[in-house]
Amino acid sequence: MITYIIRRLLYTIPIVLGVLLLTFTLFTLVGGDISLEIAGKNASKETINEIRQEYGLNKPLFLAWDSQLVNHFKNALTFNFGRARDREPVIDKIKRGAGPSLALMVPMFIGEVVISISLALVIAFVRGSKWDVMAVVLCVAGMSIPYLSFILFGQYFLAYKWGFFPVFFSPDLAPPQYVALPVLIGIVTGLGGNLRFYRTVMLDEMRNDYVRTAFAKGLGTGTVLFKHVLKNAMIPIITQVVLAIPFLFLGSLLLERFFGIPGLGYLMIEAIGSRDYLIINAMTYISAILFVLFNVITDICYAFVDPRISLE
Amino acid sequence: MIIETTKCYKKLLVISLITILFSFAGCSDTPSGEDPNEMVLHHVLYTKVPSLDPGNIRDVYSMMVCSQIFENLYQYHFLKRPYELVPLLAEAMPQVSSDLLTYTVKIKKWVYFQDDLCFSGGKGRELKAADFVFAYKRIANIKYLSQNWSGLDGKIIGLNEFREYTKTFSKIEDVDYSRAVEGLQTPDDYTLIIKLKKPWPQLTYMMEDIAFSPIAKEAVDFYGKDITSHPIGTGPYKLKTWRRGSYIELVRNPGFRGELYPNEGEPGDAEAGYLDDAGKRMPFADKVVWAIIEEYQPAWFLFLQGKTDASPIPKDNYGEAITENRELTPKMKQLGIHLETFSDPSTFWLGFNMQDPVLGKNKALRQAISYSIDREKFIEIFFNGRDIVAHGIVPPLLDSYDPNIKEKGFARYDLEQAKSLLQEAEKFYGGKLPTLKMAIPGTDTFGHQLGEFLRRSINATGIEVEVEYMDWPTYLQKMNTRSVQMFCSGTSASTPDAQDFLSLFYTKYWAPGSNSFNYSNPEFDKLYERIEVMSESPERCELYRQMEIMVLEDCPAAFLNHRVAYALHHDWYKNYKPHAFAYGLSKYRRVDLAQRAAYKELLKQVK
Repeated sequence: MITYIIRRLLYTIPIVLGVLLLTFTLFTLVGGDISLEIAGKNASKETINEIRQEYGLNKPLFLAWDSQLVNHFKNALTFNFGRARDREPVIDKIKRGAGPSLALMVPMFIGEVVISISLALVIAFVRGSKWDVMAVVLCVAGMSIPYLSFILFGQYFLAYKWGFFPVFFSPDLAPPQYVALPVLIGIVTGLGGNLRFYRTVMLDEMRNDYVRTAFAKGLGTGTVLFKHVLKNAMIPIITQVVLAIPFLFLGSLLLERFFGIPGLGYLMIEAIGSRDYLIINAMTYISAILFVLFNVITDICYAFVDPRISLE
Repeated sequence: MIIETTKCYKKLLVISLITILFSFAGCSDTPSGEDPNEMVLHHVLYTKVPSLDPGNIRDVYSMMVCSQIFENLYQYHFLKRPYELVPLLAEAMPQVSSDLLTYTVKIKKWVYFQDDLCFSGGKGRELKAADFVFAYKRIANIKYLSQNWSGLDGKIIGLNEFREYTKTFSKIEDVDYSRAVEGLQTPDDYTLIIKLKKPWPQLTYMMEDIAFSPIAKEAVDFYGKDITSHPIGTGPYKLKTWRRGSYIELVRNPGFRGELYPNEGEPGDAEAGYLDDAGKRMPFADKVVWAIIEEYQPAWFLFLQGKTDASPIPKDNYGEAITENRELTPKMKQLGIHLETFSDPSTFWLGFNMQDPVLGKNKALRQAISYSIDREKFIEIFFNGRDIVAHGIVPPLLDSYDPNIKEKGFARYDLEQAKSLLQEAEKFYGGKLPTLKMAIPGTDTFGHQLGEFLRRSINATGIEVEVEYMDWPTYLQKMNTRSVQMFCSGTSASTPDAQDFLSLFYTKYWAPGSNSFNYSNPEFDKLYERIEVMSESPERCELYRQMEIMVLEDCPAAFLNHRVAYALHHDWYKNYKPHAFAYGLSKYRRVDLAQRAAYKELLKQVK
């Protein structure tokens, strides 16, 4: 198993390097020279040249020990992401944004997974009934309503009108206070899609012989659902859940923006809007590492939940 | 294994539900942990602040924050109109030599930088004339990449040579700031002499601009590149917390020398209560807090909840706040909210690239486009009818605004005339005109609505237009490389002098400079070079108007609107007199804490 894990980890190296090569190609060859943008209006040629020098844009692209490509790899591998346009170190921005983003995304993610799996089990059990139909209709309706509508509605009624939650982030509030409403909105909006997915997974399991056998042997509904069906449905659940974890790091743009949560989703979108390539590069690189790592973890989890899978 | 998984899942389910319940139970809209006796100003910034290093800022929001921390030689009188400069760090207005080339400014004594670790013993030292010289040289240092260099370029004797000298270094910190610059002299610690290459009457405005405020060399050396988040100034407030992209908190600078609230204003100020605090020591508030809120809905809700002191009126909430008679709605009045309207010195336009082979030579085509736009409808749709039609370049607030400009008819809506001009334009072009391209900065709903409105208006004459929506960096890049045909843009005056508006049409400032129209008129250029060195006078004002007409005749843009700002503020927020040019206004503001405390009850009653 350890050999397998080491082998898989080694496979991740070319993937991460490939991502680095891709970001370099996009930012330098496709994206073009950013010195004009940094210089702003009324900048002289000499100022633009200075900017090119400071950002290393005057160096050769390839084929030199000090080329832009070599520096790109060197900086990424040493986690030296440089300074953003506003001169703040990129790594400081990421460190500061990770906490609020995770404070928002982790409870949202756990709540979404736990509630949707539980409801999916129950709905799959009552398949074909009016409750099942109602749930499917609600799921489709929930998926059809734009995310922004949930935010505007929640912020207007739950926060402003009825005062159950704060309207916006404030330094005086504790994290559970300012993330509560966005988490609730995030859970509700995510429920439709997740519930439909898990319902399908559970229905596939419900149709298997072992479920009928379990009921025939007189086992209780709860035992059959939570002990046997859930266990056997774990493979698609793990795939869905574990691979979603790296994206928690990226935060949620809309929720962060509307509720003033200073997280990484916000940071990333701002960076894209202002073409702050150093931030985009750092975030892409870290996301790529997390993604390949969690891919390996997913494979390991398969072996734990299904004895038929062995890691060789 | 099966039983363990099930137990584990059940535990997770219970823990999740409990966590969610606890989170929601504890999250009601509890009052903040603010001391009720502490006077805090709650403001909103609608975009992020990139830097608090005054030497390299040009955006309004950074200036708003920096202006509470830093000071310059002069400031605008808070109450008097027309706008007037008065001494701040200077003892008096500058003494100007008869040839208008030498400015001598005496600096106040006993002004101290705020206490900070960068100073010996952590105690702020006294401000010296050399701190101004250092600030100007720093902006001139090419390694610093200041956006403000264009403001000093070619103006002060020896400063351009100093900039050349800084090019010889590879690192910013290696530059020797003690190197003499002939045009910047400090005969003693409290006298600053500036010698100019040619008269520059706008220098006094530069001495007000916070970007050119004095900065302590110790702070720059101590913090290096992190100086952007360590503002060390002489102003009434100092930075306590800056959570980038989220909020900024300033607290009183205990070492601030104190300043008195003005004793006189313009007629009507006393009745409006603006002189209630006359002669009192400022600043009044203990803290200034800015929440950075980029969406209008939450900012509006916070204002109505009484959690911020003042607010603009978002377009979508206009009907909730203002009636058809342009008055406050009964609900707003019940809440004790006040409305302030004021003319913003800004102009917006649909510009034409005069170097474009189709548009540049075809004046009839440009005029046809200008006549095809119904500006009143445009203002009604996009600004709730608040703005006013721009008949020219110069906005009404400035002295050189021509009150008769409307009669000249450059901005009239005349579809028949537009169609007839189009025929002329096609004749000139030698056939049917190709589809024109219009660049809109912004890919959001507003940008699309704006683009669609202009496209439809122009299309009504028979001209085909394709709208290109682009993000700001792409737009800027295209403008800088002169590769757009038509573009939407605008500007706000930073001083009461209209020269900034006229400079937009000076040939030497072609893109990437401020002349994005790439307009060139030798006659205009000659006049521009004349007015550049002229002091304020009726003769200069007449030349300004003459130059404006010259541009309007050539039609390098269809001028659209001048902004009129509508701002709301709560009853408890005192001394809220709008100001078109000044940013350092927090020191004048006062909060009636009892009124603020009573608002929650009032809100409940109104709800």
